[in-house]
Amino acid sequence: MNDGGFTRGPGPVDGPGPVKVLLEAVDLHKAFGPTPALDGAGLSVRAGEVVAVMGPSGSGKSTLLHCMAGILTPDKGTVRYRDVELSAMGDGQRSELRRTEFGFVFQFGQLVPELSCLENVALPLRLGSVKRKEAESRAREWLERLEVSDVADKRPGETSGGQGQRVAVARALVTGPRVVFADEPTGALDSLNGERVMQLLVTAAKETNAAVVLVTHEPRVAAYSDREVVVRDGRSREMEPVT
Amino acid sequence: MSIGHTLLGLLEKGPRHGYDLKRAYDERFGQDRPLHYGQVYTTLSRLLRNGLVEEAGVEAGDGPERKRYAITGAGVTDVEHWLGTPEKPEPYLQNTLYAKVVLALLSGRSADDVLDVQRAAHLAAMRELTKRKASGDLADQLICDHALFHLEADLRWLELTAARLGQLKTAVTR
Amino acid sequence: MKQWFTDLALGVRLALGGGRTSWVRLALTGAGIGIGVAVLLASASVTTVLSERDERQAANAPVTGEQTSGDVLYSTFWFTEYRGESITGRFVKGSGPDAPVPPGMSKVPGDGEVFVSPALAKLLESPEGELLRERFPQQLIGTIDDVGLNTPHDLLFYAGDATVPEDDGTAISRFGGQLTERALDPVLSLLVMVGVVALLFPVLVFVGISTRLAGAERDRRLAALRLVGAGSQRVRRIAAGEALLGAFVGLAVGTVLFFIGRQFVDDIQVLGLSAFVSDLTPSLPFAVMIAVLVPVMAVVTSVIAMRRTVIEPLGVVRRAKPVRRVLWWRLVPLVVGVGVLITQAGAFGGSQSRGSAPIVIGGIVMLLLAIPVLLPWVVERAVGRVRGGAPSWQLAIRRLQLESGTAARVVGGVAVVLAGGIALQSVMASAQSEVMDSPGPEVDRGRITINLRESTPELVEQTAGLVARTAGVAEVHTLRNLGFKAGEDDYHSAFVGNCEALRTQAVLPSCQDGDSFYVETAFSRGHRSLLKAGQRVTMFEDSTGDQREGPQWTVPEFTVVKPPSESINFQSGLLLTPSVARAMPVEPESSNLLVLIDQDERDVAEHVRNAVAPITWRSYVSYFGEADVSQRVEQFQSIRQGLLAGSLITLLLAGASLLVLALEQVRERRRPLAVLAASGVPRGALGRSLLWQNAVPLLLALVVAVGVGGALAVLLLRIMSQPIVLDWPGIAVLSGAAAFMVVVVTVLSLPSLRRATGALGLRSE
Repeated sequence: MNDGGFTRGPGPVDGPGPVKVLLEAVDLHKAFGPTPALDGAGLSVRAGEVVAVMGPSGSGKSTLLHCMAGILTPDKGTVRYRDVELSAMGDGQRSELRRTEFGFVFQFGQLVPELSCLENVALPLRLGSVKRKEAESRAREWLERLEVSDVADKRPGETSGGQGQRVAVARALVTGPRVVFADEPTGALDSLNGERVMQLLVTAAKETNAAVVLVTHEPRVAAYSDREVVVRDGRSREMEPVT
Repeated sequence: MSIGHTLLGLLEKGPRHGYDLKRAYDERFGQDRPLHYGQVYTTLSRLLRNGLVEEAGVEAGDGPERKRYAITGAGVTDVEHWLGTPEKPEPYLQNTLYAKVVLALLSGRSADDVLDVQRAAHLAAMRELTKRKASGDLADQLICDHALFHLEADLRWLELTAARLGQLKTAVTR
Repeated sequence: MKQWFTDLALGVRLALGGGRTSWVRLALTGAGIGIGVAVLLASASVTTVLSERDERQAANAPVTGEQTSGDVLYSTFWFTEYRGESITGRFVKGSGPDAPVPPGMSKVPGDGEVFVSPALAKLLESPEGELLRERFPQQLIGTIDDVGLNTPHDLLFYAGDATVPEDDGTAISRFGGQLTERALDPVLSLLVMVGVVALLFPVLVFVGISTRLAGAERDRRLAALRLVGAGSQRVRRIAAGEALLGAFVGLAVGTVLFFIGRQFVDDIQVLGLSAFVSDLTPSLPFAVMIAVLVPVMAVVTSVIAMRRTVIEPLGVVRRAKPVRRVLWWRLVPLVVGVGVLITQAGAFGGSQSRGSAPIVIGGIVMLLLAIPVLLPWVVERAVGRVRGGAPSWQLAIRRLQLESGTAARVVGGVAVVLAGGIALQSVMASAQSEVMDSPGPEVDRGRITINLRESTPELVEQTAGLVARTAGVAEVHTLRNLGFKAGEDDYHSAFVGNCEALRTQAVLPSCQDGDSFYVETAFSRGHRSLLKAGQRVTMFEDSTGDQREGPQWTVPEFTVVKPPSESINFQSGLLLTPSVARAMPVEPESSNLLVLIDQDERDVAEHVRNAVAPITWRSYVSYFGEADVSQRVEQFQSIRQGLLAGSLITLLLAGASLLVLALEQVRERRRPLAVLAASGVPRGALGRSLLWQNAVPLLLALVVAVGVGGALAVLLLRIMSQPIVLDWPGIAVLSGAAAFMVVVVTVLSLPSLRRATGALGLRSE
């Protein structure tokens, strides 16, 4: 399973000295056809922190996220995860990286409609060749943790939006990822459900010491982060935390 | 909002007399609350006392209103500092923030910086409230939510303003 | 009514208006229906091909024996073979300038001139035809036009020859006779029925499926229409409008495909048959039927498809848990089909058919219809209980559990093709094995028989001399023959020759001039009364042409002898030595030259044929040594190959439909697929899940197809009273082809999966 990719090191969080950068993007450029989506954006993520990426629509937030997660390859610039450059990996390696080290939550439509919620959560484990029984019992634990164990045997189409997103969060976290990418995770939810999903996501991420890259345009959602980065016209800008 | 800093900012473009200052202020910032004449002179004399402005000659004629004021070096520094400092995140900030943005634009400073500094401050406040909410009881949560929604409204306004800076710039420097 | 029209028009407008994707969808639908329509049009042309050919055949048929005052065309029919291909033609001589000109020719060929068909001309020019050129020394003055031919591949000639006898009985007064109805062998016609049903039925299935592409997208569109206030009836009409557009595009595409495809029909020979381009014209009633049937089917299927989908203003409500399919009514076609076919057992056995073709066809249709009706139930039940497995397997199974209808319908078409193919192949195999096993007449490859008509002894001598000098010829014997009648319906032949010649016909204990023998064969013992010495018989004056009864003759004393071999067919009859024959009242007009050849000499038969070519119409050369298998077997084999090819072509069509559907499914599920890929699910796993999703229903379809096809074969074999043999190699070939098709379809849909799983698939619309 591990074909020259990643072995999980010890969590570098609580050690002395400056916290090590886990995932770093430097001077990313990416264009779709003639229109540039990223024009020198960058971002570094340290273990266990929640970073909000904000900015107006079309500013390149999602493209930055896709590049950092290895879904897209930037035209120029580098993305490093634990000092390994993503562009140096093959497609298969990147897939494995995403499956084992990263987790994903999107705005909608991420659950496989044919599988039950439990099976959806167990899916990434099963792909990592965990036995079905064990995968499903771990999935069940996560559903419980996200307070949606009652929908375990329902299909995503039969759940409410908030429940669906919590199932998605459970699926993103079930593999114990180091980085969770959340792209407008509450975009399709009302305030109350959105708050709940964010609370559960951030709490669970903190408990497992997973970093979260949170793309959102909602300040109240961004407020769950430790710091924020603004993307405007394809360039990113780190906000200095005010003391 | 700080009338003193606003007047200083207006003086950055060149010396004016008191009456001019009142008119310029009312035109740009005083839509619903025009300045009292006396307020202008009280403020100017405070600024004069603190060395932030100086008298720049008297025009022919009599009466105190003929006196012209100019900004001093200390005054410019003071404006700069003021623009660079975020307002304390609290509801109903628009007037001050608007004044800051307009003055930044008028004086050729970066309005983006003004907004970004403010935004960081706002978010820091929101983070604080969010944390407090997580540990507090329901009453706390409701109070925090109220504040959060107001701050969010401000932030949204900031976003919008930032997106419209180009438009605003042509409007204020016309 | 006007409202109807506006609704339909709106549907058309919606189908067109969606930008690139809607054009792609329309193109796929058009292609799917178009292929089907082209096949249907081709089948609708078969009747035209046959009737045109019959008409031409009738128009080319010479009319003889009429009393006429004008000029006539004296002619003798002649045929020869060249390396297994038969060449037919006539030697002709006009009685005057107004002699009737054969169709397709500019004039009656004069002495030493010849018209040949284009195919024969090509053969003569080719290096392959080098040996044949000797046989046509005449001056080639033109080729025969299409009107004079039955098929483009006819090898036909008309040669002028001054020696043609001026026999009024066979003189041609004009061309163009009566149309003769052709009756097919009942077994063959039954096979044709199964073939047509098995090959055309799936085409209709695929046309139906093609109109239902992109169902989900269409449902969303229609839901939006409900939102702005269209009633559910109107929505149905709008949907019908969309379906109609696809059907019309398909009709247009199909027509174009058909007209392009038929340009190549000249070059194709199926079952030794071929057709002219102009013959391949759909018969009008069939064409009209296709033009009406396809749109109607499109509308009906789209309305039926919506039956399960309640289109609500706020999105599409598919019943979350589809109603479990009921079995009982799905069994009706199966039971009816089996029942009907059982009652016909033995009806088409033997040479006489007692059965009714419509009933048998109905039974076949019912049985084949049972497959698409049963399959959805089978797939649902088979898949419903499956749990666990690898993630890719789980993805595919869950998908099928949620919606197995579409998959079942597509593979239903495939299964019909397979079942039909299996039944046909088995029936053919059984029929063929019977033909192969039956002890057919063996042929003696060591001898060639040359029959000479109106032959004077000099001519016989001269010809024998020509043949004897030919390379590879060992011996030449002359046998002259006569016919006589011993009683009502009791005909016999007599052969006249010297003792060496007679020994080729029978085992003679001793022989000298003046002896007579009677060869009795296994066949004659059962069928003919034995002649008696001293019996008075009536001689025929001409044993080859019109047999006119001549003078009486008394049968001499004879010895009964046996033929040289019981396994090879020898003729029974009197063997007379020359001095006995001299006492006969008539002179034999027909002679046979028996040529014993060295079989190892290459093309010896062609050389012998060339040697006798100068005497033209007077000679017939028969040699059976060239055919390895008997002709019937060969015919069966070519029909089998044709049917197998037909099954494979239909399977290909099924594959195309399957591919279109697979692409459509990937497109519909783009977002979940993209998210899975983004979350690190390897593309390989997604690809495998596609494969399972295609393969599982197909495997079930295979099982059902083998079952139903086998049952159909057994029932048909009983109807034909044939031994029951299933053609396992044929079943293996067809199943293998189907399995291969699934793999190909999956591989071809991988690029679209790759596109869908790119980061662009994540963008929310």
